Amino acid sequence: MGLIDIAFALINGLATGMAIFLVAAGLTLIFGILKILNFAHGAFFMIGAYLSYTIIGSNPSSIWLFVVAALVGGVVVAALGYVTDLVVLRRLRNVDEAFMLIATFAVLLVCSGVVKLIWGVNYASINPPPGIDGAVIIGNLFIPSYSIFVIVCGVAIFVGLDFAIRRTWIGKMLQSIAVDNWMAALLGINVPVALTATVIVSFLLAGVAGGLLLANQTLSPILGDSYLLLAFMAVVIGGLGDVRGAFIAAILLGIIESSSSLIMPDMPGMATYLFVILFLLAKPQGLFGDHGI
Amino acid sequence: MSTILEVSDVHKSYGSLKVIKGVTFEVAKGDTFAIIGPNGAGKTTMFKVITGEVKRDSGTIRYKGEDVSDKTEFERVRLGMGRTFQVARTYPDVTVLDNIVVAIEVRRAARNENAPHWYNVSLRADIVAEAEEHLRDLGLSDKRDMEARFLSHGDKKRLELGLALAGMPEVLMLDEPTAGMSPQDRHATTELILRLREEKKMTVVITEHDMDVIFELASRILVLNHGEALAVGTIEEIRANPLVQDVYLGKEMYSAEG
Amino acid sequence: MTGLKILAGIACAFAFITLPYWANQGVMFLAGLALIEIIFALAWNLLFGFTGLASFGHAAFFAIGAYLTGYVLKAAIGIPFLLLILASGLAGAVVAAITGLVLLRRTTGIHLAIFTLALAEVLRLFIGYSTALGREDGLASIPRPVLELGFTTIQITSGNAYYWFICVMALVLGGLLWVICHGPFGRVLVSIRQDPERTAFMGVNVRGYRLTAFILSGGFSATAGSLYAPWAQIVTPETGHWIHSTQPMLAALLGGAHSFWGPVIGTLVFSVINYLTRNLIGLSEVVIGVVLLVIVLAAPNGIVGLIKMIRRRFFSTPGSSPAGTRS
Repeated sequence: MGLIDIAFALINGLATGMAIFLVAAGLTLIFGILKILNFAHGAFFMIGAYLSYTIIGSNPSSIWLFVVAALVGGVVVAALGYVTDLVVLRRLRNVDEAFMLIATFAVLLVCSGVVKLIWGVNYASINPPPGIDGAVIIGNLFIPSYSIFVIVCGVAIFVGLDFAIRRTWIGKMLQSIAVDNWMAALLGINVPVALTATVIVSFLLAGVAGGLLLANQTLSPILGDSYLLLAFMAVVIGGLGDVRGAFIAAILLGIIESSSSLIMPDMPGMATYLFVILFLLAKPQGLFGDHGI
Repeated sequence: MSTILEVSDVHKSYGSLKVIKGVTFEVAKGDTFAIIGPNGAGKTTMFKVITGEVKRDSGTIRYKGEDVSDKTEFERVRLGMGRTFQVARTYPDVTVLDNIVVAIEVRRAARNENAPHWYNVSLRADIVAEAEEHLRDLGLSDKRDMEARFLSHGDKKRLELGLALAGMPEVLMLDEPTAGMSPQDRHATTELILRLREEKKMTVVITEHDMDVIFELASRILVLNHGEALAVGTIEEIRANPLVQDVYLGKEMYSAEG
Repeated sequence: MTGLKILAGIACAFAFITLPYWANQGVMFLAGLALIEIIFALAWNLLFGFTGLASFGHAAFFAIGAYLTGYVLKAAIGIPFLLLILASGLAGAVVAAITGLVLLRRTTGIHLAIFTLALAEVLRLFIGYSTALGREDGLASIPRPVLELGFTTIQITSGNAYYWFICVMALVLGGLLWVICHGPFGRVLVSIRQDPERTAFMGVNVRGYRLTAFILSGGFSATAGSLYAPWAQIVTPETGHWIHSTQPMLAALLGGAHSFWGPVIGTLVFSVINYLTRNLIGLSEVVIGVVLLVIVLAAPNGIVGLIKMIRRRFFSTPGSSPAGTRS
């Protein structure tokens, strides 16, 4: 194992980490504000992916079309998020945690059932659009340009989200709701509207992530499950509801996931879960504790 | 009279905030010992340190001569220290009878007093009889089969007292037993505590806001102020104490806000 | 009401026992599966509905029992089958004891959920990478065993015979769980679920009780898995997948987690929905999802709670049925 292997694993890990973060971003946002661990998030991620696929097919013609399709998927999923909030989530505010989990799980079931009914259970694979279908070669290092694309998307969404939360009045408002939504209401913040807005943004992120991560993977009705689990872990390790924490945790998980081929070559995937278990035993509150976003 | 509870030089701080600063006192067997003080004086923390809910930083708590400072809540309960909570905590999903039955069964198992086995599916007659006796004491007989969540505030408080009593404690610790009660309920509860104390020969440790209740019940009083023991003594001694008059009683002798 | 309940119970038992005479092989297979899942769901609910701890990785215990039994049967080592079932249950209990000792120290709620989920995934991945356990393909063509009772041996190698064996075992295991849940031990668990702190202040070692419940639950889940292996005759890593972990959870909530019979009713309803929607892939998920949503939104205490509510409204005995312990 040479330096090249390590560098390759790092970049690969970064790409995986950003992919995890793209899914975890919406998840942690909704947890921070609504205190819901949204099982359905993975399903909406998957719906976003299928919608994009429907628009661009297996061989997208340009990078712009690819991004636009992801955004369209995101907007449709955001609309579905509004409906979900209206029909389900809104009625379950202040209900026992367990029922919340079950409700979002029920939504997950409905979504994955609908996906199977509409798109069937066949696998589809999608190529990256021209422009990011090649590789960048630096010396002996071979980096798929799609990985760079995913990293750029992940960082862009993180920077945007972080800025929105920490620098804008909307973010400050959301932070005050996250800390104490009763106090926030007292201060004149329209809490119900803010909560609904959070749900919509979270779902938008899920849908967009589905579209952006579409290439280089097999699209099937179980796509949501694998990402969901890793994203869950990132959210918990990051300190439930903390966007920065989730970002760092996602990178950590990505690097462990990709370097596990170096550490435990016989058992890919195992190192990640072992890491999660050990981490949470040592630091149950996550990287930054669980308060606010 | 012999000492049953001994608190010596107990300190407790949360971070840099010192809540209890070296408090020492003794509770004699049969006393009704009240812990009072202005808000933020450390009453609740003191109470929790005695019950084991909060671990003290230094100092010792002795129960019947035994150092219990490092024992868990349930170990202290098993030794004979029962308690109630400020906001009554009962089991809402089961009947009033079942609430008491659990308390009795747990006590019997802990003390090896003819406890039922895990496979005794039907309630044993002797346990039901004991539970009904408690309910009669508490005046809850007619609500025997009602799920506890349907009880009124006062009845919940009474039932919770019953949960503690069913454990047959030697020291009963009451955290604001009349908090949030109507004057009638307050009076009834005070009477109940007085009666039970006589019948069961218990030592009672109580925190309370209401001075009327304190003067009616307490035989000895500890006054806390800023985490320090300002004075310990009988009602008369406390009333006569110039320090106490100065910081506490002097201003609003009989106000409800302690 | 109790008369009606007993009648329904007898009718149900009769339908299950006579099933091989009037239903086809496919239905019989599903019925056997449902009985096994009922035990699994009851075991999970001992932890959730009675103790108030939600495990999201219970399929791991099921898989431990299934793989142990499947492996030993395939290897034809010659351990008596009943002993093998017992050993599987013990294996599940031991693993539960070890994990419980570590996890229940300070974690409940969401952290416990994630922990159990991660641990179960580790086990599933491990199975998937283990050549001895058949990797991703699992253990196939597991033989059905012969029952040695000491005084006699019974062939349960045929489908019908093994089905009846499952019926008997479901009755025994379910009965055992019923007794555990309805005795003093169960009453303490229900108290812990409702208010752990209050219960500690009655002199109960809450952590000890939680651990015991975790061990029992893991043991019974593994036992269910042990019955499963010779019935399906194939065990794959999917038995340990987290999706399988959600099965008992959904059944318990659908039926009513605070009632002993909730998981039983929930599992039966799910089995029927799965059967009726078997021809259209995806439909069963949509139907189950919608039913669950309706339950959670309209009747958070599940089907059993719904029945109680209706009964209370029409027969007006407010608050007279203890929802927590007896049902």
